[in-house]
Amino acid sequence: MTATSTSQDETRQVLKSRHTTRSGLPQSRSTVALSYVILAIGVTIALVPFLYVVSTSLKETTSLFSYPPDWIPTPLYWGNFKSLFADHPFVWWTFNTLFVAGAVTALKLWFDTMAGYALAKMEFTGRRGIALLFLLSVAIPISALIIPLFFVVRYLGLLDTYWALILPPLANPLGIFMARSFIVAIPDNLEDSARLDGASEFTIYRTIVLPLIRPGLVVLGMFTFMLQYTSFIWPLIAVQDSKRQVLAVGISGLQSAFLQDWGLLSAAMLLAAIPITLVFLLVQKAFVVNDLSGALKE
Amino acid sequence: MPTLSSPSDVAVSLISVAKSYSTVEVLKPFDLQVGEGEFVVLLGPSGCGKSTILKMIAGLEEVSHGEIHVAGKLVNYVRPRDRDVAMVFQNYALYPHMTVRDNIGFPLKMNRRPRLTRAVIAERTAEAADIVDLTAYLDRKPAQLSGGQRQRVALARAIVRKPAVFLMDEPLSNLDALLRADMRTSLLDVHSRIQKATLYVTHDQIEAMTMADRVVVLNEGRIQQIGQPHELYAAPANTFVAQFIGSPRMPIHSLKVSDDGAIRIAGATLTLDAAVVLERGSTVRVGLRPSALRVTDSAAASACFCGVARRRDYLGSDSYLEIELKDGSSSINDVTYSVMVRADADTKVGPGEVVYVDAVPGAIHIFDEAGARLCGASVSQRPR
Repeated sequence: MTATSTSQDETRQVLKSRHTTRSGLPQSRSTVALSYVILAIGVTIALVPFLYVVSTSLKETTSLFSYPPDWIPTPLYWGNFKSLFADHPFVWWTFNTLFVAGAVTALKLWFDTMAGYALAKMEFTGRRGIALLFLLSVAIPISALIIPLFFVVRYLGLLDTYWALILPPLANPLGIFMARSFIVAIPDNLEDSARLDGASEFTIYRTIVLPLIRPGLVVLGMFTFMLQYTSFIWPLIAVQDSKRQVLAVGISGLQSAFLQDWGLLSAAMLLAAIPITLVFLLVQKAFVVNDLSGALKE
Repeated sequence: MPTLSSPSDVAVSLISVAKSYSTVEVLKPFDLQVGEGEFVVLLGPSGCGKSTILKMIAGLEEVSHGEIHVAGKLVNYVRPRDRDVAMVFQNYALYPHMTVRDNIGFPLKMNRRPRLTRAVIAERTAEAADIVDLTAYLDRKPAQLSGGQRQRVALARAIVRKPAVFLMDEPLSNLDALLRADMRTSLLDVHSRIQKATLYVTHDQIEAMTMADRVVVLNEGRIQQIGQPHELYAAPANTFVAQFIGSPRMPIHSLKVSDDGAIRIAGATLTLDAAVVLERGSTVRVGLRPSALRVTDSAAASACFCGVARRRDYLGSDSYLEIELKDGSSSINDVTYSVMVRADADTKVGPGEVVYVDAVPGAIHIFDEAGARLCGASVSQRPR
């Protein structure tokens, strides 16, 4: 056998073994085909509603219920989008949502990681008690808190302000627990070493702990951002001014009891999905396993 | 070894230091002084409290009782960073997100009094990296280094601060045997260059014996003996030290002092090498150091003991035989005594064969019933 044919054989072998199981064993063609069929069905189920929204947003409401359904309307109708910007403060809603979600995320990451660091690594009286209290408060449903929270915010004169939207979510202790669990995983020796090297507690938190829990922070940040982006009940109550409203509240206001403008709603939903999708695409690279390799002897 | 002639020679002084966790006393009160440039090894089994001592000196553990002085300054209530000590941890404790350069330079960046310029930090980082031979790896991350290189980064990070005292917590125990031997030499080289007081924790007696100016042997939170390596080997303070130092482990047998005041073991009568009065009928413990017992092929006339070989351990340079000594005519000590005896590597003696054993000076150690050393002994009357 010549060298060329050997290398061709190897190439064929590699191509053959491209479809392998997790254990590295090659899969049969029928198995591969079946998995593609199942995946295609899944993708279709997920995509059809989205495509329907896209299609609806480009139609006049009058032509929505025509039969058979017209998936690609001709001509494309842009009136729904124009109406969103001309008749409604959609730009404000988007700005408000991004600003509030961004501010809550940034502040929460800061507070939660600092509190998480204290609960995970610092020795102080009442540490367990505080942790338990935080844990118990997670169990209180938001609906039970809304009325007292409304009175507190009104008493503080914060209704109809950004503070009314930003401050209450910061008190959610779930992030503290997530941050604490990331930080607990960092070996104590690293902090001891930094302490001996002359680092203050805040320097240890900032230069050692934060970089090491970055993947966890991305998850926590994304989680917080999405939660705020879709938050509805509290913003509905805390803000009445149309220009201070967030997307979820603003879009829900596009519906009325007697008239559903599905084209307008679809256009709004479509545009509202764009920023969060972009944010997700930007940070998805950071969704990696916490990398402590090389820190300690494994 | 440096002698501690004046307080200024003392780099670390622990006075009546003890450590308790609630009601559990993990370290009994003890005193220890480490001289400038001295290499002191804390040796003991796991859980004996040796790492706790280091952490107390470093300020990572509170002292329950007593005083710790570093470079003449009481440091009990001083923050770790202000104690002028550097520590090397067993598991390296490198910052994984920083390069080797940043890891080594980290203590200098943290230095606030005085704040160092970038040029000074770069220069001292390069100097420390050069000492541990890491110049070529400065831009790598810890994950890209081998175990030995990582430990050298940890060492460089300690060196770069130029501290008064180095604390090393089992720094070599995660390395393989070959690398460990190399790193021992490297560590001693570094120590001889920088000549700073070093407290080194290990459970490996070879590290302790080869590296230390003085060894502190600990067990169950209590200092058993402090001394130079040869002192621990030649005159162990108690049965724990006798058995912990030296390989193979020293067998120790309990014996009754006979009516005529003599100690007899396996037909041989022992002569004490110090004027110790033993109560007749009392119990003493006799240890026989394996490395000082030799198989002799000469006739029984010059041999101290006679026994039957049970097992042979081949070690390359030597072999060790487990021998059951035949008891003599003594009715008091009518038992058999298992001992380990050194033999030539290529000895032909096999299990079941009768062998004669010679004891060189330093082979036999006498302890009281509680285990404290009384004296050494030699064989005065051989079995017939």
